Amino acid sequence: MAQWDLTKKLVPFLDRHLIFPILLNPSLAELYKPEDVQLALYELAKTTDLVDYTITLFEKVFPDQPVPEEFATKRASTLSSINRLEQEAQAVLDVIENPDVAQALRQDKLQNLQYLKDTYGLTLDQITALYNFGQLQFSIGNYSLAADYLYHFRILSTATSLVLSSQWGKLASDLLVGNWDSALEELHGLQEAIDNGSATGPAGTSLAQLQSRTWLLHWSLFLYFRHPEGRTLLLDLFLSPAYLNTIQTSCPWILRYLAAAAIISRKSSAASASRTVRGALQQIVKIIQTEEYQYSDPITLFLKELYVDFDFEGAQKWLSEAEIVLDNDFFLSDFKEEFLENARFIVSEAYIRIHQKIDIADLSARLNMSQGEGEKWIVNLIRDTRMGADAKIDLEKNMVTTHRTHPPIYQSVIEKTRGLARRTQDLSIDMNRRANGEYEAAGRGGGGVGGGSGDKENKSKGAGTGGRGRREEAN
Amino acid sequence: MSRFFRRGGDSSDESSSDEEEELLSGDDSGNEIIPKPSKRAVSGGSDESPDSDDSDDSDDSDEREEEKPIKKVSRFLKTAGSDSEDSDDESVKHIVKSAKDKRMEEMATSGDMIDQKLRINDWAAINTEFDKLTRLVLRQTNLSEPLPPVYLRVLSTLDDAVSKEKEGKKKMDANKARALNTVKHKVKKTIKEYEVQMKEYSADPEAFTAQYAASTQPEVLPKSKKPKKDRGDGEDGEVDAFTTVGKGGKTYSLGAADLYKNLAAIQEARGKKSTDRNEAMKILEKLRQVASTPYSRIRVLLALISSRFDYNTSVSTHMPIDIWTSAQNELNELVSILIEAPQYAVVEDFQIEYDDNVERVPSPSEPIIKVRGSVISYVDRLDEEFTRSLQNIDPHGTEYVDRLKDEKSLYETICRAEVHFEQSDPSSLARVMMRRLEHIYSKPTVVVTILERSTSEALASVLPPTFPSLNNLGTTTALVRALCVHLYQTEFSLLRTRAMLCHVYHHALQNDFHTARDLFLMSHLSETIHNADVATQILFNRAVVQLGLCAFRSGLIKEAQSTLQDIFTTQRVKELLAQGIHQQRYTVLTPEQEKAERARQLPFHMHINTELLEAAFLVSSMLVEIPHLASIDTEELKRKAISKPFRRLLDFADRQVFTGPPESTRDHIMQASKALQDGEWEKCRDLIQSIKIWSLMPEEAAVKEMLAKRIQEEGLRTYLFTYSAYYASLSLSLLATTFSLSVRTVTAIVSKMIWNEELAASLDQAAGTIVFHRVEPTRVQQLAQTLADRVSQMVEQNTKALDQKLGGGGGGGSSWNDRAAGDTGGESQERKGRSDRPRGGQRGSGGARGARGARFAQGLGGRVGGSTAIQA
Repeated sequence: MAQWDLTKKLVPFLDRHLIFPILLNPSLAELYKPEDVQLALYELAKTTDLVDYTITLFEKVFPDQPVPEEFATKRASTLSSINRLEQEAQAVLDVIENPDVAQALRQDKLQNLQYLKDTYGLTLDQITALYNFGQLQFSIGNYSLAADYLYHFRILSTATSLVLSSQWGKLASDLLVGNWDSALEELHGLQEAIDNGSATGPAGTSLAQLQSRTWLLHWSLFLYFRHPEGRTLLLDLFLSPAYLNTIQTSCPWILRYLAAAAIISRKSSAASASRTVRGALQQIVKIIQTEEYQYSDPITLFLKELYVDFDFEGAQKWLSEAEIVLDNDFFLSDFKEEFLENARFIVSEAYIRIHQKIDIADLSARLNMSQGEGEKWIVNLIRDTRMGADAKIDLEKNMVTTHRTHPPIYQSVIEKTRGLARRTQDLSIDMNRRANGEYEAAGRGGGGVGGGSGDKENKSKGAGTGGRGRREEAN
Repeated sequence: MSRFFRRGGDSSDESSSDEEEELLSGDDSGNEIIPKPSKRAVSGGSDESPDSDDSDDSDDSDEREEEKPIKKVSRFLKTAGSDSEDSDDESVKHIVKSAKDKRMEEMATSGDMIDQKLRINDWAAINTEFDKLTRLVLRQTNLSEPLPPVYLRVLSTLDDAVSKEKEGKKKMDANKARALNTVKHKVKKTIKEYEVQMKEYSADPEAFTAQYAASTQPEVLPKSKKPKKDRGDGEDGEVDAFTTVGKGGKTYSLGAADLYKNLAAIQEARGKKSTDRNEAMKILEKLRQVASTPYSRIRVLLALISSRFDYNTSVSTHMPIDIWTSAQNELNELVSILIEAPQYAVVEDFQIEYDDNVERVPSPSEPIIKVRGSVISYVDRLDEEFTRSLQNIDPHGTEYVDRLKDEKSLYETICRAEVHFEQSDPSSLARVMMRRLEHIYSKPTVVVTILERSTSEALASVLPPTFPSLNNLGTTTALVRALCVHLYQTEFSLLRTRAMLCHVYHHALQNDFHTARDLFLMSHLSETIHNADVATQILFNRAVVQLGLCAFRSGLIKEAQSTLQDIFTTQRVKELLAQGIHQQRYTVLTPEQEKAERARQLPFHMHINTELLEAAFLVSSMLVEIPHLASIDTEELKRKAISKPFRRLLDFADRQVFTGPPESTRDHIMQASKALQDGEWEKCRDLIQSIKIWSLMPEEAAVKEMLAKRIQEEGLRTYLFTYSAYYASLSLSLLATTFSLSVRTVTAIVSKMIWNEELAASLDQAAGTIVFHRVEPTRVQQLAQTLADRVSQMVEQNTKALDQKLGGGGGGGSSWNDRAAGDTGGESQERKGRSDRPRGGQRGSGGARGARGARFAQGLGGRVGGSTAIQA
C-alpha cells in the first residue's frame, strides 16, 4: 500500500519539526522498512538543534559506532547561545511583563516602540533578540516557550519579514504543542498576510505567493484534523478559489484530504451547514475529475466512481481500499470510522435516489456489510434522514421500496414568480428616486441591487480568472 | 535659342568626330568588331540628316572647336595603346570605344531632334530621324551592348505622341499623315522587339540609365591587361562585366590589400540601382577563392552572402534555388570559420572603428577581432527565403518535395549557427533556437528524428556535448522542452510567447492533452493574444486547433467541441490558420493587403487539414448536440444551440426534400446525426466510420473505435430522451442488447441521467428495469406555468424599458443591464457577439481585419477560460 502513501509528497512542504510526528506515526513502519524510517528520523534530527534526541537516534541507527564528537560541540554551542540570547531577551521580557507597560501599549506599533524606547530604553535590537531566542527555543524543541517569545516579538516588532517569520514559527509551535485555538488564529493571520501579498516580502511575486499558500495548506492539515471544527474550516479554506487553484497547481495530493474532509463532515456538521457541504462534495468531484490525470487515490477514486461513473461496484472496491489508506494516513487515521460511516451514507443515498426497488442484500454488499447489518443500517437511514423519498422495507421480499413524490408543478410557478414583486418594487423605487432628481443616489442604489443578484455570477467568474492566474504563477 | 544651338552643335560634333574616328580606324585592318560599311553609311546619313537650318550654320564653327580635344583624345589613346605590348589589339579596342562614344552622342542628338520635331509635329523629319536612330541602335545591339536608354526614351515618347496624334490626324496634310503612319508602325514594331527592355525602362528609367552608364563606363577604365586576363572565360557579351573581374583577378598576385579595396568597392556599390548584382557575386566568388586568412574569408563571405540575398529585389517571388543553396553553403562556411576561430567575431554593432582595407589579426591588445555583420540575420533571411520558396512552389508537384528536402540542410545550418551563438551571442541564440523550434514543433517524431540524425552526423565535430539534441535528450518532447525552457528565459516577450505556443502545439501533437491544456491556460495567452502580431495570432490559432484535435483523438469530445467551436463559428478557418485566403463578399482586398496575406500563408506541408478538422469538429458537435437536442422539449430552449455551425448544417439538412447517398464529409455527418436522432446508432456509426478523411488521423483505428463507443453511449442517451415519454418502464437488458453495451454500462449511464435529473425515472433493481415517472402536466398547470413566464417577461421588459428611457449612462443603468445578462445566462452576450460579427465583416477595412483576429482570440480566450472555470 506504499503507493498511496503521501509522506514523501508532504514532507517537502513542512517544517522539520512538523515532520517528526509524521515520521513517528507507527503505521509508517509497516509501509516502509523500520530501519529506513529510523534513518530518516536521524537525518532529520541532525539538521535541527535537538542534539540529545539526535544522539539517541544515532545510537539506534548505528548501534556499534561511537557517538561523533560534533554532537558534543554542537550541544555546547547551542547551550551557550541559549544563555546569551536568554539574557538579551530577558531584558525585554522584564519590561513587557510589567503590568504598566501592558496597559500603556496601544494598537499603533510605532507609537508603542517610541513609548518603550522613551520610558524603558528598549531598542529594536533588543526586540529582535526576542525573535532570535524564540527561534532557538523552537529549534531545541521548547515549543511553548517559543510560542510565547514569538508572540511578544510580533506585537512589538515592525520588521515585516521577521514578523511573518515569527508568525510561521508561532503557528508551528502551536501546532506542535497542540494549542489548536491559538493555532487557528495564527493560521488566519497568516492567510490574511499571504492574501494581501505582504507575506511574500519585497520579492512579492505571485510565485512566492503560490509557495506560501502551498505551505499553509500543508501546515493547516495538522490543525484541521485535530481541531473539533476543523473539517468544516478546512472545506472553507481549501475550497476558496485561491487555495483551490494552489491545490490544482502545486499539490494535487491535498485533494485526498479535501475529499476526506468533505465526506467526514457530511453528517457531523450542523444541519444548516449540510447544504454547503453537499455543494462542496459536488465541487470536489468536479475537481477530482479534472485533476485525475495527475492525481488519484482510493478516496478520490471512490468519489469518482460514485458520482461520475455511478459504478457502485467500483465505488465499493475503492472504499475498501480507502479503509486501508486511512489506517496508514497520519492525519486521517483517527477519522476512519467516521469516514466509513459517511461514505456508506453517501453511497446509500445515491443508491436510494436512483433506485425504486432495492435488494437489501445487494445494498449491504455495496456497503461492505452483512445482510443483517445492512438492514439495520437502512432502517437507521430511513429513520434519520430526509431523503426526499419515502422508503419502506418489504421484509418478505427483502426489498426496500422508495416512493418518490414529485414536486408539484405549482411549486415551480411559485418559484418563478417569487422575486417579481421585489424586482418591481426596486424598479419603482429607482424610478421615484430618479424622478426626484437624486441621480447619484439612484445610481448607487441600483448598483446595490444589481450587485446583490449578480453576486453569485461574479464569484464564479472570479474563480475562473483566479484559476488561470494561479496557473501562470506556477509556471 | 541657345539650347537649340547647343544641340545642333552636339550633333555636328558627333558627326565630325565620327569622321575623325573613321580616319583613325582606317589604318587598323584588324578591326573585326565594327562593321565599317554600315558605319559609314550611318555617319553619312547623319550628315545628310535634315537638320534645321540654324544648326547647320553652327555646324562648321563647332566642328573646329571640337576637333582639337577629340584629336587629343585619340592621340592619347593611341599612345596608351602603343605603350602596351599588344598594341595592335589594343588600338582596335580604343577605336571601338571612341566609335561607341560617337554613336552614343549621335543617338542622343537624334533623340533630341525627334523631341524637337515632335513639338512642331514634323512627322516626316521624325520618320527619318527615327530611322537613323534605329540603325545606330541596331549596330549597338549587334555589338551585344545593352540598349541605350536614349533610344528607349525616344521610343516611349514617340509611342505616346503617336497615340495622341490619332485624333488630330485628319487635320494633317497627306504627307505628314503618311509619315505619321510609318512612324507609328515602326514604333510599334520596335517596341515589340525590345519589349523586355522597355518594361524595365518604364518601370524605373533612372535605374536603367544608371545601369547602362555603369555597364558602359568600365570601358574607359581597362588598360592593357584586359584582353589577356579575361577574354578566355568570358563570352563576348560580358566583356564589360569582366573587365572588373579582371581587375579583381589581378589581386591574385597582389595579395590581400587589394582584396579589401575590391570589397570596399562592392560594398559601396551595394544597394545602388546601377549595380549589377550578378557581377558583384562573381567578383566575390573569385575573391572567396583568393581569401586565405580567416579574417579575409569572413569579410568576403559576409559580402558574398549579402550579395546573394540582394539578388532578388522583388518581394513577391522567391530567391532562385541555386542561389539559395550557394548562400546556404557560404553561410555554413562562415559559421564554421567562426566556430573554429573564436578569436574572430561577427557583431552587429560596436563602436570601434577599423580600417576596412587592412588585414587584421588577433593581437594581445585586441584579442578578439570584431567584424561588422550579422550572422543571425543571414540565418533568418535564409529561413525566410526557404519558406517563401515553399509558398511559391506548387505544393502538388515534385519540385515542392525536392525543395522540402532542403529543409534538412537548412536545419543543419540553423543548428550550426546555434552552436556558434552558444559560444558567442546569447541574444541571437534565442532567435536561432526559435528558428530551430519552428522547424520541429509541428513535425511528427519520425521527421524530427531524421532531421536530428542528419544534423548530428554533419555537425559531429563541432557539437558540444551539452547541445540540446535528440541524442542527448532521447525524445522529441524533451528536445522541444529543452528549447522552450531556454526560450522562456529570454527577455523577448515575443519569443517567449511563440515558444509557449509551439510547446503547446507540440504537446497537443503528442496527444498530451492535459499538459498542453494546462500550459495553454497558464500562459494566459488567450487574454493578450489580440495584441500580438498576426503571425503569432496565427500560431495561436494553430495551437488551439491542434489542442482541439488532440482532445478529439484522446476521446475528450466535449473539450474538443468547445475548443474548436470558436474557430468554426467565424467560418474563416482557412484564413485564421493562414492556409488560404478568404474571399470576402462585401469588400475587395487592396493589392497590398492581399500581398501581405499571401506572404503570411503557411507552406503546404505545415497545413492542418481543414477537412479533417471540420470532421472532428462536426462529429464532436454531433455527439454533444444531438442528445442535448433530444433532451429539451420546449421551442425556446431549442433555439439555444451549443454548436451553432453544426445546428445550421443540421437545419439545412432537415429542410432537404431528398437526400442522396452521402458524398462529402458533411453529408456523412449530417446523415449520421439523423440516424443518431432516430436511435439507429449502428447506421450512425457506419456512416461516421466510412468518412475517408479519418485516414489522415494518426491512430485511425483507435479513434474510430472510440467514436463507435461514444456513438453507442450517446445513442442510448438520445434514445432515452426521445422515447422515454412513450414507456412506463424499460428493461435494462433490452437496452444493453439494443446498444451493444454491457448491462453495467447501461446502468451507469441511466443512473447518471437520473442523478442529474435529466430523466424522471428510477431503477427497479429486482426486475432490472427502468421505471419512468414522467408526469404530463394538466392543462391548468401548463397555463399556470405560461402565465408565470409571461409575468416574469413583463418585469424584464419593464426593467429594460426603464433602462432605455433613462439611458444606460448611469450606474443604475449598467447594473440593470448586468442583471439582465445574469438572468438570461450567457445567451444575451452570445447574441450580442453574433450581431457584432457580420458588422465587422461588412466594414472589412484594414482595421476591421485586425480587429477580427482580436475578436476571435478574445472569444476563444473566454471560451476556454469559461470551460476551466466550470471545471474548477
